[in-house]
Amino acid sequence: MNKLKKKISEAKRKWEKIEDNKEPIIYVGAASCGRAAGALELIDETDRFIQENNVSARLIQVGCIGPCYLEPLVDIKMPGQPRVSYSNVNIGLLSKILKSHLIEGTPFSKAAIGNFSNDTFMDIPPFFELPMLKPQMRIVLRNCGLIDPEDIDHYLAKDGYQGLMNALQTSPEDVIGVVRQSGIRGRGGAGFPTFKKWTVCRNTPGEQKYLICNADEGDPGAFMNRSLIESDAHAVLEGMMIAGYAIGASKGIIYIRAEYPLAIERLKKAINQMKEYGLLGKNILGSRFSFDVSIKEGAGAFVCGEETALIASIEGKRGAPRSRPPFPAISGLFGCPTIINNVETLGTLPNILRNGADWYSRIGKEGNRGTKTFSLVGKIRRTGLIEVQLGTTLREIIFDIGGGVQKPFKAIQTGGPSGGCLSEEFLDLAVDYESLASAGSIMGSGGLIIMDEDTCVVDVAKYFLDFTQKESCGKCIPCRVGTRHMVEILDRITHGEGVPEDLLTLRTLGDTIKKGALCGLGQTAPNPVLTTLRYFRNEYLEHIRDGRCRAIVCKDLIEYRVIKEKCTGCQSCVRVCPTGAISGPRSEPHNLDVTKCIKCRSCYEICRFEAIAGDAIIIRTAEKRS
Amino acid sequence: MTKKIIHITINNKKLDAHPGQTILQAAREHGIYIPSLCAMEHLASYGACRLCVVEVDGLRGFPTSCTTPVEEGMVIRTDTMEVRGLRQEVLKLLLSEHPASCLFCGEKEECKQYMGTIRKVGVITGCRYCPNDLRCELQQIAENIGLTETSYPVYYKNFPVEKYDPFYDRDYNLCILCGRCVRVCSNVRLNGTLSFKQRGRLTTIGPAFDRSHIEAGCEFCGACVTACPTGALSTKVSKWYGRPDTQIGSTCNYCAMGCKLLLQTTKTEVIDALPDYSSPVEHGIICVKGRFGITEYVHSPLRYGVPREMTPIGYNDISWEEAIEKAASKLTGLKPDECLFVVSPQLLNEDLFAAQKFIRQIKGSEEIASSFIFDLDDDAISYINLISDSEPIETIEKAQGVIAIGFDSTYGYSAIGVNVKKAVQSGACLLCINSFESNLDMLSEASFVMDTSKWADMLDLIIGFMSKDKIEKRLAGSVKTFGKDIDSACKVFLRSPDNVLIVGPGVIEAQNRDRVLGGIERLKNEFSWRIVVACPYTNLKGMLAMGAYPCFKPGDTIRQHEADKTVELRGENAHIDLKKKRKLIYLIGDTSFDILPDCDYLIYQNALPVKSSRAPDLILPVSLFTESSGTIINIEGRVLQVKEAVAPYMDSKPDWWILKRIAEKIGRPGMKFNNVGSIQGEIKKIIKGFPAVKRRVEFKRIALKGTVKKHGQGMPAAWKSSYRGVLLGDVVSGIKVIESKRMFSVQERATRAPLIEWRAI
Repeated sequence: MNKLKKKISEAKRKWEKIEDNKEPIIYVGAASCGRAAGALELIDETDRFIQENNVSARLIQVGCIGPCYLEPLVDIKMPGQPRVSYSNVNIGLLSKILKSHLIEGTPFSKAAIGNFSNDTFMDIPPFFELPMLKPQMRIVLRNCGLIDPEDIDHYLAKDGYQGLMNALQTSPEDVIGVVRQSGIRGRGGAGFPTFKKWTVCRNTPGEQKYLICNADEGDPGAFMNRSLIESDAHAVLEGMMIAGYAIGASKGIIYIRAEYPLAIERLKKAINQMKEYGLLGKNILGSRFSFDVSIKEGAGAFVCGEETALIASIEGKRGAPRSRPPFPAISGLFGCPTIINNVETLGTLPNILRNGADWYSRIGKEGNRGTKTFSLVGKIRRTGLIEVQLGTTLREIIFDIGGGVQKPFKAIQTGGPSGGCLSEEFLDLAVDYESLASAGSIMGSGGLIIMDEDTCVVDVAKYFLDFTQKESCGKCIPCRVGTRHMVEILDRITHGEGVPEDLLTLRTLGDTIKKGALCGLGQTAPNPVLTTLRYFRNEYLEHIRDGRCRAIVCKDLIEYRVIKEKCTGCQSCVRVCPTGAISGPRSEPHNLDVTKCIKCRSCYEICRFEAIAGDAIIIRTAEKRS
Repeated sequence: MTKKIIHITINNKKLDAHPGQTILQAAREHGIYIPSLCAMEHLASYGACRLCVVEVDGLRGFPTSCTTPVEEGMVIRTDTMEVRGLRQEVLKLLLSEHPASCLFCGEKEECKQYMGTIRKVGVITGCRYCPNDLRCELQQIAENIGLTETSYPVYYKNFPVEKYDPFYDRDYNLCILCGRCVRVCSNVRLNGTLSFKQRGRLTTIGPAFDRSHIEAGCEFCGACVTACPTGALSTKVSKWYGRPDTQIGSTCNYCAMGCKLLLQTTKTEVIDALPDYSSPVEHGIICVKGRFGITEYVHSPLRYGVPREMTPIGYNDISWEEAIEKAASKLTGLKPDECLFVVSPQLLNEDLFAAQKFIRQIKGSEEIASSFIFDLDDDAISYINLISDSEPIETIEKAQGVIAIGFDSTYGYSAIGVNVKKAVQSGACLLCINSFESNLDMLSEASFVMDTSKWADMLDLIIGFMSKDKIEKRLAGSVKTFGKDIDSACKVFLRSPDNVLIVGPGVIEAQNRDRVLGGIERLKNEFSWRIVVACPYTNLKGMLAMGAYPCFKPGDTIRQHEADKTVELRGENAHIDLKKKRKLIYLIGDTSFDILPDCDYLIYQNALPVKSSRAPDLILPVSLFTESSGTIINIEGRVLQVKEAVAPYMDSKPDWWILKRIAEKIGRPGMKFNNVGSIQGEIKKIIKGFPAVKRRVEFKRIALKGTVKKHGQGMPAAWKSSYRGVLLGDVVSGIKVIESKRMFSVQERATRAPLIEWRAI
């Protein structure tokens, strides 16, 4: 333990040098979101700029700080000044920023979004007072975007592994007691009180126990776990060790989907650093606790996020779930008592063990303690990764944090393919496990998809069900066959071939699948359909009865038209039409042949953004009849 | 010892259950019907079909009764409206993927009555929609649940029927993905040929990587076919027979394992042979020969139906009187060395008893030949001494060290193979020695594919290790020759308290066979290795017990009590003179035409012809083991019953009946048996309690005085299975296919993934 304490003081001194930097530091947000926006090119360009201009500056790659709509984020911290963050940086903007701030010492205010002190700095507001950040309570994400995720010293400097040290000073039962008192529930979606599973596992006799971190994160569009691992892998690893100690496991396995190469790389680096610092292996920090962590990559199956399928996958078998009993806590991996916890649950544990159960239990609300990360995406102004107290309302999330919608709000989808679409009337619903469940949806792993009037709810239901059907393992009849029937029905409806009986059939099928399916994938697969049927029945009826798709999405129910009065004949659309459906000579209103039109939106977009007229092409659907 | 009782309530009735039972098992025990398709005895519960759902107080939703263990005080409802509704919906979904003309076709009754088809030419076939009609579990469930209509659209898969592998067809359009075949192949047979492929609605079943079944190592044991509840897997020869009329439990006669077979028969034919998982010999682990090789053999169109006599212009059918008259006349007045009798070691005990009596009375000498003696030649006595000590098959599972020499269990001796796999799964160390790559190689610590001439050296090496003498030096030398693996294997053998040596059929055709058998003897006697012999001679123990062997009268070799240990044999007396020309040769179930000396008259008593350059003068048709009652003694020494399943083919007769009639005709009074029972009565004098013998028959050791002169004529073909001298491959088409493909190339073996995951991560 003393060796680690020494390392911690060294790390804190290292961090001091950053807080009180003598040479400029440039931070680039280079998690997957940043990279997708072009961060790597910016890093290369920055390196080049520094070389060329013979400036001494240090470059640190940081993780995801949250507001993905602002990526790429490049921050500059000059000696004696707070760190200033620039958003939506491209190559052109970068050179202006570097010239102004790095060379001349003056922040390029036009592009600066925030500064990392508590006060306004040169008209730049504090970053964490920005409307998107201010209502958030960042506990799990506290280090994301602030530290270099590949340097264990940064983590140590921010009181990293303090939670583990506290845990090792007490007994495993005490640790379970702390977790119980904190009230934390599994963040993977089920919301089962974490301490309960741990207690069962602790009390099950067995020499070998396993602690598995579920980093499969299969929900399409969900990236909370990925961001956390890429930005602060040690938080998850420390959580694994705390959990392992509590249940008596000597082996930890991270089951991570193969589609997260950067996260896997960061984990591997972090594990190696832990070994160097004596944080893994036998008798860690002089205690009787021995722990080793290995990584197992997934192979592209959503169903392997389900506990028992995940265990089967690690055992080398086909990733198909099995019935419970027996529960994994009693008989799991290789028949041994096993606990599977979600990345976020584990990432929260160091904070609880460091700051105490009391502190955590005062956050959130009764029965739903603490915070939850959400991926806020869709038709919303400010997309990104957020963390709020449980009990925050949907309205606060969408309109305060997310900046609201541009076009009229239609629905919010929570919980991914297992969740449901909630309509406008639920905007004041508190985000907690019970409230969402009573509305017919689920919290899930934290995906929040905002939809406006341009989203066809039937199409969304079809999309999710199609996903679930393709990912179904095929073991049980209700899921394998039932979801197939539901997809075919929705397919017909979106192609204008629905019949009124379909709605009842969908309800019956949904009911059968929910009651009959073997695992959570099947049991929750009908939720998107059932909730949209409940809250957006009219849209279904319009599709079926009127052949109308009010969001103008379902291709067989929409038609493109040229408004002759507005068309100036500029030929912009003719050039982009892939089938030659639009035609017409210059300076004369064009013609659109509906039989050739494949509804690709090219002409519509071109007219809107580049043509002279701007609104000469419209997309229509059938009129509402009743 | 009373078993603990658990009290549960099903449908308001209080019932007793046992710990470890599932709700489904408890319900079935009390006669309460719960439909299920994926649950099967001997298989762990799976919970896939969702038909067995019930309501349980305290458990939310609808748990499956096949996966839920009973608990004290549990209240279960199997028949509520909701449960019934859910079952109906699940069945409707199932049927939307499964062609179910048998439930919906309006023509069914007519087709069944008149067996007509809709073709122009009047062909009598009956309904050919599905081979499983009237035997199908899915059909039965639809009836029991009372499903009368469904409105879901059909999504039939349009797969072509897979017909290009032998023995059974696969029609995956009918597959309901219950997983029974996959589970029985992986967990019961420990083979793992079948697996689920793809997922979602594209899920299907087959060998991984689209290999053919033969490539993937399928043993064609038919366990999957037996397990399949629908017509997806169906036996080629019997798929259209419909429901069998009777089922008779009997014993397979194709090798000395003596596996139990449940013979399914129509009124005149044996159409199928199923395993019996409760049989104490092999526990239902049978091989392709017994499972699929019976019908085509016993109902071969080549079978002899009436006695035939050779005339200058070909064969003439004659009556039994004439045949017996002829045989008797030819046999009368012959001196002992003027005639030669050859007996098959695959005859039933009763037939062997009759045969030895016949030969000793008629011929008057001890020269009783058999294909066993021709094959094993001067090593026959060594081999017999090995089989005398052959241990029960079940005991292989507990061994910690196993050597398999000349053994492969792909197409035979399945129970031995599966037990070796179980032993290895529990941590046993396996060493394989063979002349080709066997199916156990990938489980072995070390496997040696080498010419049989080197086997003796290999055994000597192992004996050297076991003697704990100069270990280091031997290790150094052996590693140079044989590689590192042999020393890790031998170290385990030294430490292990229980080592088993499996003597496979390959030993019979090994060069330096005497040294090989000697080496095995030494491991057994000096180093306490237990022996299990995979013996192709079905009733070799019976042949010895019944005294159908030179110099051993009935009972001579049987140990009657503890102290009774050895019996002597003078080597020169056991020699069969194959050079001397004879006046008459009489083959009883034997086909060694090519190695026999010339003779004036050849009598052939068998069921099927073989290709040979010699045409018998008199052919006596024999009824086979599916048409007779009797017993055999298997390799473990158990007396096993063979029961008559169908009437003898045409005018064929049992061996003993023919011999008795001829003896009577000659005027010898000694063969007074009128039926099998009376023969068994005589055998009772040498084996206590025969035929209902509970204990194993034990054999004395044969002490050989002097040596047996080599015949030098036998060409043993140990890997080509035969019955009564007729190669199975010549009569059963599928067996020819698999026997020719037995030896996989080195590349094919290398690309196969290990079948059993017994090393943890």
